Amino acid sequence: MRISTNMLFDSGVRGIQTQASDLLKIQQELSTGRRVLTPADDPIAAARALDVSQSQATTDQFTKNGQSATEALGLQDSTLSNVSTLLQSVRVLAVNAGNPGLSASDRKSLATELQSDYDQLLGMANTTDGNGQYLFSGYKGSTQAFSESSPGTVVYNGDQGQRLIQVSASRQVAVSTAGAAVFQQIPNGNGTFVTAQAMSSGTATNTGSSVISPGVVSNPAAWNNSANNKDFTIKFYVDSTVTPSVTTYDIVDNVTGQSMLTGAAAGSGPYLRTYTSGSTISLKTISPPDTNPTPFDFGAELSVSGVPASGDSFTVKASTSQDIFTTIHNLITSLNTSNYNNAAITNNNNTALSNIAAAEDRILQVRATVGASLKEVDTQTTLNGDLSLQYKTTLSNLQDVDYTKAVSDLTMKQTALQAAQKSFVNIQGLSLFNYIQ
Amino acid sequence: MSLFTVGLSGLNAAQIGLATTGHNITNASTDGYHRQTIVQGTNLATPTGSGFIGQGTNVETIKRVYSQFLDNQLQQVQTKSSYLDSYLSQINQIDNMLADSNSGLSPALQDFFSAVGDVSSNPQAVASRQSMLSSGSALISRFQTLFSRFNDLQNGVNTQIGDSVTQINSYAQQIANLNSQIIAQTSSGNQPPNDLLDQRGNLINQLNQQVGATVVKQSDGSYNVFIGNGQPLIVGNTVYQLAAVRSPEDQQRVEVAYQYGGKTTLLGNGSLSGGSLGGLLDFRNQSLIPAQNELGRVAMALAQTFNAQHQLGQDLSGNLGQNFFSVPSPTVIPSTNNTGTGSITATLSSQAALTTDDYRILYNGTTYTVTDLSTNTSTSGLSSATLAAAIPGVTLAVGATPAAGDVFTIQPTRYAARDIALSNTITINTIAAAAPIATAAATSNTGSGTISTGTVNATPTTPDPSHPSTDLNLRQPVTITFNNPPTSFSVSGAGPGLPATVAYTAGANISFNGWTVQISGKPAAGDLFTIGPNTNGVSDNRNMLALAKLQTANTMIGGTASYQGAYSQIVSQVGNKAAETQVTSDAQSSLLTQTKNAQQSLSGVNLDEEAANLMRYQQAYQASGKMLQIASTLFNSILSIGT
Repeated sequence: MRISTNMLFDSGVRGIQTQASDLLKIQQELSTGRRVLTPADDPIAAARALDVSQSQATTDQFTKNGQSATEALGLQDSTLSNVSTLLQSVRVLAVNAGNPGLSASDRKSLATELQSDYDQLLGMANTTDGNGQYLFSGYKGSTQAFSESSPGTVVYNGDQGQRLIQVSASRQVAVSTAGAAVFQQIPNGNGTFVTAQAMSSGTATNTGSSVISPGVVSNPAAWNNSANNKDFTIKFYVDSTVTPSVTTYDIVDNVTGQSMLTGAAAGSGPYLRTYTSGSTISLKTISPPDTNPTPFDFGAELSVSGVPASGDSFTVKASTSQDIFTTIHNLITSLNTSNYNNAAITNNNNTALSNIAAAEDRILQVRATVGASLKEVDTQTTLNGDLSLQYKTTLSNLQDVDYTKAVSDLTMKQTALQAAQKSFVNIQGLSLFNYIQ
Repeated sequence: MSLFTVGLSGLNAAQIGLATTGHNITNASTDGYHRQTIVQGTNLATPTGSGFIGQGTNVETIKRVYSQFLDNQLQQVQTKSSYLDSYLSQINQIDNMLADSNSGLSPALQDFFSAVGDVSSNPQAVASRQSMLSSGSALISRFQTLFSRFNDLQNGVNTQIGDSVTQINSYAQQIANLNSQIIAQTSSGNQPPNDLLDQRGNLINQLNQQVGATVVKQSDGSYNVFIGNGQPLIVGNTVYQLAAVRSPEDQQRVEVAYQYGGKTTLLGNGSLSGGSLGGLLDFRNQSLIPAQNELGRVAMALAQTFNAQHQLGQDLSGNLGQNFFSVPSPTVIPSTNNTGTGSITATLSSQAALTTDDYRILYNGTTYTVTDLSTNTSTSGLSSATLAAAIPGVTLAVGATPAAGDVFTIQPTRYAARDIALSNTITINTIAAAAPIATAAATSNTGSGTISTGTVNATPTTPDPSHPSTDLNLRQPVTITFNNPPTSFSVSGAGPGLPATVAYTAGANISFNGWTVQISGKPAAGDLFTIGPNTNGVSDNRNMLALAKLQTANTMIGGTASYQGAYSQIVSQVGNKAAETQVTSDAQSSLLTQTKNAQQSLSGVNLDEEAANLMRYQQAYQASGKMLQIASTLFNSILSIGT
């Protein structure tokens, strides 16, 4: 092939150019640590890298959210733990108050202690977080959760909203609990029904020494029967014309006003069933002695012990919600009432104790939920960490330079460039004109 | 005496040979130069009885070593190579712009949504809210920076088209001048004007670097040159000038026009191919505009979807959410040639349906024709009613009816990345983190029924005139009461069409007044659930959670891509095109090298060869000289006979 001098120059310069530009590329890769310098170097990797970096950013955000959730849940847990401790002390005071040997002034001093617990509890229910937001007021973070409208009547000012935090792409964790559910919506009595001595405008009216048990539900389906009005009075009548005197009782449906034993309107006694202290009183037809033509069975049992006076009565009603503040306040009122006999105090104490137990149960329940959420956030945070690491690895695989390869390429290209330069100079030195004298 | 004549002819030929060799040596690196050689022939011999006696030599012509085939091939390869180089150098600018992981859109987008996430964790914290506003501004300024970079490239293309057109006109003029000189010199001397031919060939080559041109050789030796789809550029010594003019249909776009007879005709897309001008035009249509439109589409979709969700929320003061961003509108450009006063307005209707194409609307006096400028597909026969939905994602409305022949250009997303802004109603307090409704179960409920937190419907049945994205009765208190038996419930409260009896299905959607809730579990007879305004709900983050989810939601391109996904598409498209162009360009440039080598191998000057030629003609000259000396000696010996 015929060669022109221009070809020699051009191809020599082109060779050097190509080698130099390759060398520059490798140098850039080495100095930035990236294999993909522009999207054109690897369009798929470049686009994937953007997507992966977004996934990583969202995962990091979830981790950050998880930290917020942990803080919020931790604060809630420690507050609830304090509430638990406080309720224990209330329970100890309530048990102490049941001691029949206490004088009226002893009871008053217990009431004073209880009052301070009550105030502390109200303070805890109004705990705020680092941002000054009330923990237990739902969405209304800047509204005080609970306020006392009159002594013993605490009003919830929040709502039922639960604050949620996104801790993973698919999971939101509740980091707050509406205060009403924690402190107020606690079923009283045994959770299904509540037994109590007869009260008239806040004062116990029984004159005997009988005490009613909280009772148990033996058949929940029967209790929930729609025919059950769930509002009864157990009335006692003492026939003292005979010796020894005979005590009988009746079960009256307060809605219909009928005796459940006879099926007819309730009378003033004597009644069909005979009372024995401590024996079971079943809310179902026992024939004989019952004469009710429509037998009933509401699946509940309770017992009364002690000696009732004639006309004494107890109520059995479906459980309702009672807030813990009312429970403590009622106990305080009871302790401050000096003319109660021991039975009245015991009855009130029993009511209070079962309500306090229910409140403690509720706090434990909420704490269990909070604990479960904390654990979930923890697990999710670990998972997010793993994911983030994985994304980092993927990103690195996508765009980072392989140093070993790049350095060896660098050496190779260097040699190639040197060879191109040297050969160019050598070839350019060859000219016939050198020999024309 | 013929010996003198013969010797002299040898001297002359050797001198011409030396001159030609010298010409070759000195022009070894002249562009477009073809080496020249002398063609020597014998003089007419003298016939004698003893046969024909040679009368020496003469130089018949000075030949240009030239192959029409190789030179044509070189021009074709050259124009393709210039096309690719020009395309590549332009697209590399976008490629480099997208290359930096810190300057692209992604980090700003991630920062913004990270701030949204922070507000969702601390909905009432002023610091989080402020950082959401700041990163929102940063995101917008990133959009605008990228836009202005794209716009710089548009302006750069416009300027370069102008430069290229000036060059082409100048080359055309020079070629036409050379045409006349070549005709004159060829006809007068009957010998080829080699250097003029080289000059013209070189100009043709340079013209091909600017734009693909076809050369037709005429019998008189002149070249007629055509460009594009056969538009004449040079015919004989007449030059048809090109001009770079702003398109009447889009003043931002410089187009190449063809000028003759005082008339200016635009050369449409694709009518010019090859050369750096062709590369510029194709780059603009195939890479720059789609990328710029795609960026705009991301901006538009982000503003639209974020606003839609933000409006369903409630701010710190308890007001319904307003716009967070101000949503850019599609651009409508009436042609400057329009004769009527008609107008068309375009509004964004669906960010999911939006394309990255531009459209041209032509009114013929009765119907409209819409042409997609990317695919060149047209829909004709549209009335002003059917025109409304002719462009995906955009609603068109005809104001005054245009005159026949009027043209409008619709660029749905072109300027969206420039026009996106924070809404002027947005402040720390008006970030709508909460949901406007709150649900509650009555504390007296005895059943196990629970009510969900509720969501606000995106399309209200009775839109609120002062806040059309939500229902008029959205925040009216509504009570759901379970009947006895609790297999149905009644809905009461303010609002239209609240039914007295609705059969209860656990977990089913219950939707009235523009909200939707679910009740699950086993409510008891008489249980109450309320849905009402979210009063003082400053710690509520429900709407912010929904906004944060938009980051990864597939809201774009028919519900197949997130914002990031759509942006990745630009990166991948530009990257792929740049990589493809790089590879093709490399291949083309090695083809160019080969073609050049083939051409140079034939026509290029080799200095060693010329050195040899120098010696050859030197020796020929010396030999002829010696011949004259011998002839003289011979002549002297004759003369000495007499003495």
